[in-house]
Amino acid sequence: MSEKVISADKLTKTFVSKAEELTVLNGSSFDIYRGDIVCLLGISGSGKTTTLNLIAGLDTPSSGRILYSGSNIGEWTLNKLYDFRLQEIGFIFQEFYLLEHLTALENVMVPMILVEITEDEAQERALELLTQVGLRRKAMNHPEELSSGERQRVCIARAIANHPSILIADEPTGTLDSKTGDEIMNLLLGIAQQRQMTVIYTTHDPYVTKLANRIFLMQNGLVVENGQSSLDNLVFDETNFKYKFKGGKT
Amino acid sequence: MNQKDDFVSSDTQSSFYSRVLLGFLFNLRLIWKNIKNKKRSTIIIIIGLVFSMSILFTSSIWTNTSQKIIADDYIETLDYEMYISTFLINAMDEVYEFVFNDPLVKQADWIFPTVALFNYEDKGPFYRWYPEENQENITNPLSLSSAFVVSSRSIDRIKLNLEIEGNATLNSGEILVSYTQARQLERVYNETISPGYVLNVAITRKIPNTDEGEHTMQYYDIEETRYENYTISGIYNYVGHNSIIERLVGGGSEGAGGIILDSILFPAEDMTGVDLFVMDSNGILPRLLIKTNAQLLREGGITQMPDNLLALKERIEIRFFHSFCYILSQEIQTMADEYRRSFSATSLFLPTIASAIFLTVLSTQITIKRRREEIAFLRSRGASSGQIIGLFFGEFILLSSVALALSIGFGILLAAFIPSFGHDGFFSTTLFLRYFQYLEISPYEIEIFAVLVLGIYLGVTLINVISLVRKDIQESFLITRKGQQIVSLSLKLAAFALTIAGFIFLYLDYLALARQSYTFDFNLISASSKTLYVFIGVIFFGCYFASLGLNYLLKNIEGVFKLIFRRRSFFIFRNIKRASKNLSDLTFFLVLMVCLLSSFIMIRSTTINNLESEDAYRKGSDIRIQSVLPVNISEYEEKISSIHGIEKAIGFYSIVASIGFQDIEVFGVNPTDYLEVGRWIEESFPETDTVNALTNLGANQTGIILSKYIAERLGFHVGRSMFVTDFRGGPFYMRFNVTAVIKSAPGLGIAHGDDPKMNRITNEWVLVNKELITGLGVENGTLFLADVGDDVDIDVVANQIRAISPLLIVNPEKINPDYIGYFITGYIPPITAMLLIGAIFVNIIAIVYVTISTEFILEQRRREYAVLMALGGRQSNIRGQLIYEILVFILATIIVGIPLGVITTLMGISFLKPLLMSQEVVNLTLHIDVVALLIMIVTLLIAAVLGIIRPIRKQMKYDIVHELRAIV
Repeated sequence: MSEKVISADKLTKTFVSKAEELTVLNGSSFDIYRGDIVCLLGISGSGKTTTLNLIAGLDTPSSGRILYSGSNIGEWTLNKLYDFRLQEIGFIFQEFYLLEHLTALENVMVPMILVEITEDEAQERALELLTQVGLRRKAMNHPEELSSGERQRVCIARAIANHPSILIADEPTGTLDSKTGDEIMNLLLGIAQQRQMTVIYTTHDPYVTKLANRIFLMQNGLVVENGQSSLDNLVFDETNFKYKFKGGKT
Repeated sequence: MNQKDDFVSSDTQSSFYSRVLLGFLFNLRLIWKNIKNKKRSTIIIIIGLVFSMSILFTSSIWTNTSQKIIADDYIETLDYEMYISTFLINAMDEVYEFVFNDPLVKQADWIFPTVALFNYEDKGPFYRWYPEENQENITNPLSLSSAFVVSSRSIDRIKLNLEIEGNATLNSGEILVSYTQARQLERVYNETISPGYVLNVAITRKIPNTDEGEHTMQYYDIEETRYENYTISGIYNYVGHNSIIERLVGGGSEGAGGIILDSILFPAEDMTGVDLFVMDSNGILPRLLIKTNAQLLREGGITQMPDNLLALKERIEIRFFHSFCYILSQEIQTMADEYRRSFSATSLFLPTIASAIFLTVLSTQITIKRRREEIAFLRSRGASSGQIIGLFFGEFILLSSVALALSIGFGILLAAFIPSFGHDGFFSTTLFLRYFQYLEISPYEIEIFAVLVLGIYLGVTLINVISLVRKDIQESFLITRKGQQIVSLSLKLAAFALTIAGFIFLYLDYLALARQSYTFDFNLISASSKTLYVFIGVIFFGCYFASLGLNYLLKNIEGVFKLIFRRRSFFIFRNIKRASKNLSDLTFFLVLMVCLLSSFIMIRSTTINNLESEDAYRKGSDIRIQSVLPVNISEYEEKISSIHGIEKAIGFYSIVASIGFQDIEVFGVNPTDYLEVGRWIEESFPETDTVNALTNLGANQTGIILSKYIAERLGFHVGRSMFVTDFRGGPFYMRFNVTAVIKSAPGLGIAHGDDPKMNRITNEWVLVNKELITGLGVENGTLFLADVGDDVDIDVVANQIRAISPLLIVNPEKINPDYIGYFITGYIPPITAMLLIGAIFVNIIAIVYVTISTEFILEQRRREYAVLMALGGRQSNIRGQLIYEILVFILATIIVGIPLGVITTLMGISFLKPLLMSQEVVNLTLHIDVVALLIMIVTLLIAAVLGIIRPIRKQMKYDIVHELRAIV
């Protein structure tokens, strides 16, 4: 069996505002192993992004814990957490979050500069990465001069810049048309496979799940997995507006 | 119209009004909610407006109120403002009655100058007592003294010029005796004379008139009245300057005669009508001393005072053709001029005020940009452009009203608060409350300033709001962004060119006027102020274009950034280079602030340095000695020179004469000694060097050195012969050869023009060889200069000189302590203080702007920082980068701003002289006070960094997930 990289233990997350308290995660537990391609599936507001944020150390659970290679993230110092985000996690955002004042090349260089690689080296590596994602000729373009698909390619290049062991993608195809979405997913998973990375991605589009080898269904604040990766095991209950696995387990 | 129609009509009408009312109330509620929900923005704008308007209101209220207090206080320090004499003695009562009824006259007192005799008891009627040095019994002589018979109440005014040991009273049976006369009486009576001493005194009703051949006089000639057992209430010394008494009877340290220093004061009430009648009959002319009503004298403003006084003089002289009125016109004119200069000098505060207004403009812009989303929301909900503009206009009305009320309050408080610190720097409640008694608010000025500031605020608000709500219109006018930039830059360049042209025109006008003027008169002050106003525009534009250049440079020196910041340069340089959300807006304002700050500091240090140089030059040498009474010059030169440590001492022989119709003081010196002892400067002689000029004078026994003014006015030049006429007590004329033209001399000050710091009796002096003056029988003088050795303690030597005679004043702190300029600074801070206050304000404005602007930009970048942190960026790194980025701007602006400040100062001091000083005795040259400049700059730097730490820390505290979510 592969090494367990992420282990979530009874995670809860409650958002408190003046108007209400909203519990998004309610005691979720799951394990993710090295090399897994995990898809978090659920409707909007089911807690997919929250789960990713907790895994990436961007947010802290209200209770429960997340272990990375057996170490509790919640007990880490801030610096260790920064290093974790910088070197172990590659994050691809649905909205790209590219820095508008930087070129595509410079955006890819950002994580490398943060890790204190020299600018020249970072530039060289960034160019390689852009070549890998097919954007070398647009390296000097600013994000506003790129299409959505191109921007997401830059995001992928930026996410893998520091050779992370885990690639997290929050609805990477959410803003793309289906053709471009397919291309991006193929590119993303291809690179992940090539670099032997663990991939965790979210989607509310059941058709994107076909590329995952594990599917976690986010439902009622819980993460449910039935152990099968096929899309055929999922059905969408239009009456209750829910996904469910075949066999009745929701 | 039937009843139904009428009903419908009134119903429609009432619903229309109620709709309008409801709409109005709804909008009012909306405006109020907006203000309430934008507390921070509201506070920033109100602070900006209150700050700008308060400074303007303060300056207005301050100057209006100050001039009343200055005028009243100054008039109170004068004994009288006028004396009247007439050769028709019998008409004097009529003159008194006329004057007494003039509303401008507050008090009129008689004064009879006569002679008093002591130790007369055993002298027979044929005793020859006059002339004094040749009286009959020199071993038991009469003591002869000048006497001034004055009313008892007048002593309250005369005593302002006296330093009195004992009581300053002149009741019946009392006399006041001068220090010199007291010493004389000690010799006569062989007893110690002190206040309380009782003696007999004879007041003469007739005094010798040499014009009528009365060169000797027996005792019976004087028709005296004897007064027995009179008590000396006090012994006085004359310490005043600029007084009517001095002008009437002489007696100042540099005045002629010093009669009052050797005299007594006697109460007029003790004399009978017969006494006064006999005195009148014998030609002892009474004079009237006139004290004016200060409140009426200053009617029309402080600068109107000389004219009001002159009008009184004219009223009297026209009514009584035989009368002569002497007024302290020079003193009051000097006060008016100095006040005008001090007042005009407040215009140096204008750049600070302009910066404060500019800060308000920028804050308003930032606040409106912050509300861009709100405007977009309103538009999306269907609000028309007019409604949105109306809402902002409503907010403007509310905020402006509050700000205006607060500004007037603060303006009044500040105007009273600042001068309440007075000379000693400590707050005085009395001064503070006194300001309120005199409070003068000019509604006209308040209105102008309010309209100016609020108009700018409204303009900026509307332009920004309109540009946000009507982008379509804006874009239809301006085809491209680039085109828009080109038009904007062209307009700015055109405005700059116009400003430069205006400045050059006014500057040349000033220079032309300065060339024609020998003193800094009102016209020159006015020309200087006008040039300053336009120069402020030049500074603003200059800094703007310099900041454009600086921004361009900063965006093109990546190598330098890499060299300095190494890996950090990646983010720092790219943030500086970015087109939006950058801090480059800081550059203009900071360059401007640093430029103004350093200019203020440098103009201040230049002025202080010049004042010190001038004071040293006016002092003349290591030691300046002034004698209260004229003393024998050669004797005192010898006494002073014999003191160990003194290398050489020279005395100045002087006599008043005339050139043309102008009174001049002719100073006689030994040119070689003067060259050695005096602290000469390069500009003393405009056309030659000092050594040449003084050597030539020494070589030419009939040589004369003239002021440039006299030489140019009368067409004299070096080598030409000329006459000086009407030597007082000497020949009618003497012929001289012009050997040099002089601007000023150490110890004597400027050769032409009123130099109020010197308190000279004429406005013009010339220099000749001393032998010419001694040849006229002049042996006494009041001024000496002495040069001491290098390692000599000047204080020790000065004390030894003081020991020679109590009449000697050695190294006085102020040559003329009554100089009106010292008086005015108690009410209007001196220019140096004003510049310092300006520098502090500029510092505060700069720091406030850096904080507001940085916070705004950082807020815009909030999400970027969240992304960086999501990618693994450390808070400390991001914080560091931000601080470095801001420091780059601050340091770069300092590097550019200081040289701009130097240029500004150099240009400024070339035309600001009339505002900075009353006379340019020593050429004004740039002096940089590096320490003060460093303190100001470091303070700015530290305060700016401290100011930005809070917004930076705030940015770092935002929750990453929250910020990322906010992007969607």
